[in-house]
Amino acid sequence: MKIKRRDLGHQRRRVGVFFMMPALILVSAFLGIPIIQAIYYSFTQWDGLTALWTGVSTYTHELRDPIFWRVLENNGLLLIGIPIAMLLPMGIAFLLNEKVPGWKIFRSIYFLPTAISWVVIGMVSLRFFAQQGLLNGILKGFGLGFIHTDLLSSERGALLAVSITFIWSMVGTNTIIFLTGMATLDNSLNEAARMDGASNYRIFRSITLPQLQRFIQFSFIITVISAFTALFSLIFVMTGGGPGFGTTTLEFFIYQSAFSRGDFGTGAMLGVILFLIMTVLGVGQLAIMRSKE
Amino acid sequence: MIMKRKQIVVFTIMVLFAVVMIYPFYFMINTSFESNAQFLGASGHSFASWHKLFQALPVGRQLWNSTAVCVCSILIILVVSTMAGYSLAKLRSKLSWLYFLGIVGAMLIPLQSIIIPAYINASHLNLLSGYWGAIFLYSALGTPFATFLMTSYFRGLPDDLIEAAICDGLSYRRVFTKIALPLAVPAVVTIIVLQFIQIWDDLLVGLLFIQDPNYRTITVGLGALSAGRTTDIPVLMAGSLISAIPAVTVYLIFQRQLVNGLTAGIGK
Repeated sequence: MKIKRRDLGHQRRRVGVFFMMPALILVSAFLGIPIIQAIYYSFTQWDGLTALWTGVSTYTHELRDPIFWRVLENNGLLLIGIPIAMLLPMGIAFLLNEKVPGWKIFRSIYFLPTAISWVVIGMVSLRFFAQQGLLNGILKGFGLGFIHTDLLSSERGALLAVSITFIWSMVGTNTIIFLTGMATLDNSLNEAARMDGASNYRIFRSITLPQLQRFIQFSFIITVISAFTALFSLIFVMTGGGPGFGTTTLEFFIYQSAFSRGDFGTGAMLGVILFLIMTVLGVGQLAIMRSKE
Repeated sequence: MIMKRKQIVVFTIMVLFAVVMIYPFYFMINTSFESNAQFLGASGHSFASWHKLFQALPVGRQLWNSTAVCVCSILIILVVSTMAGYSLAKLRSKLSWLYFLGIVGAMLIPLQSIIIPAYINASHLNLLSGYWGAIFLYSALGTPFATFLMTSYFRGLPDDLIEAAICDGLSYRRVFTKIALPLAVPAVVTIIVLQFIQIWDDLLVGLLFIQDPNYRTITVGLGALSAGRTTDIPVLMAGSLISAIPAVTVYLIFQRQLVNGLTAGIGK
């Protein structure tokens, strides 16, 4: 009996390792090795064929390049939209939670953009903000025709247009996250507080918000990740990064450096910088969650 | 009475938001049934733009390409992630935590950070001429989260169930295929839905890793068409509509699974 047990343990371990292998090989080959290569090539001048070791000078050179900071500034400006991309859905989720007739249909409608590619969203958005587009049509309809907008032709305007589109497409995802959170709320607490004479605002701040904390954090991290890494196709279709560097974000800059300018070394380095930013954000988030528990 | 008025206000706001969210779809459908002249002001509707779309874009071919790429990638993700998830949840060894850390850590790697070396590697391996470069990269990108999802799902299965089956003389392999997998169907469906929408809608990987225009997916075809500065908006809208229909259909049928997948990351 004892021997059989050990046999089983042996079999268990062997099958365990064997079952792990395909995932490990796939992820190592297409994500693990490339990220290590990216780090190596970030210290070189690389055209895709031959790499010339240049050390940290690629980094110091890039950090002195105003275009690099311009690109990071664009990322920073996009982040300004995040509170809106979270507060708006939170408001919507509260309203949906009132369970007015047809709320399930509304929920489906709000979540619909999740299924649509950024290519399609970008194309429609382009028409919306165009000179002869819907935005100007609406303004005219309200008798505000004198405010003729032409967002896409200026650097800041184009970034604003990208940013509005980004917020629009995040509404559904964040609404669903908050709705899920609200389904877990303990209503008896609210009633007890109301008995004690607490105001609606006080109940929201002291009872509802703390219970939603985990969901707010999750929505925040999803929105930040999207702002940094999900907008390539949108920018590709809407603005191509322009005008000038007006809508070139870090992820788009990576693509441009490598595939438009053939400077694979710089592209790899920018990729490493993006990876570092995401790691710091991810680890920071984890640390905050741990410290709260 | 007050309650009722409040409901009316809430309902009105909901409708307004719904209009904002649904307008792009209305615009897409309506514009696609206009010719360019009609779009620019003339009245009426026509099929002219749909005819033009089928001339400008090999729609059928590209829909097929999208389907092939999605199906192969999802199959690989499913095989690999169910096995890994089962191993991490039920066949733990001393090294399991390290594997788990590696897999979860891989979720932090942004696609843009690895895409340049991955592209160069794939070109050295001659993976860029057909579907395979894209399929492998999509699979690798989808595997970490799918494994995470499968691991937490299999952890929910009672150990007794597996031990009982082992005592009945089944091997660990048979327990996986005969007991664990059939029980994991809900998680598997969630992965299929999530990945289908993600891969179907992707532009960047398809753009770089599928070099032969004959193998282009519909989303890439559309992206290329718009980047070619086609000024014929109704044609682009018809293309947008046709590329969006499959993912939207999947969304409408499997909404619940999609929501489950999204909120699985919170770890209730």
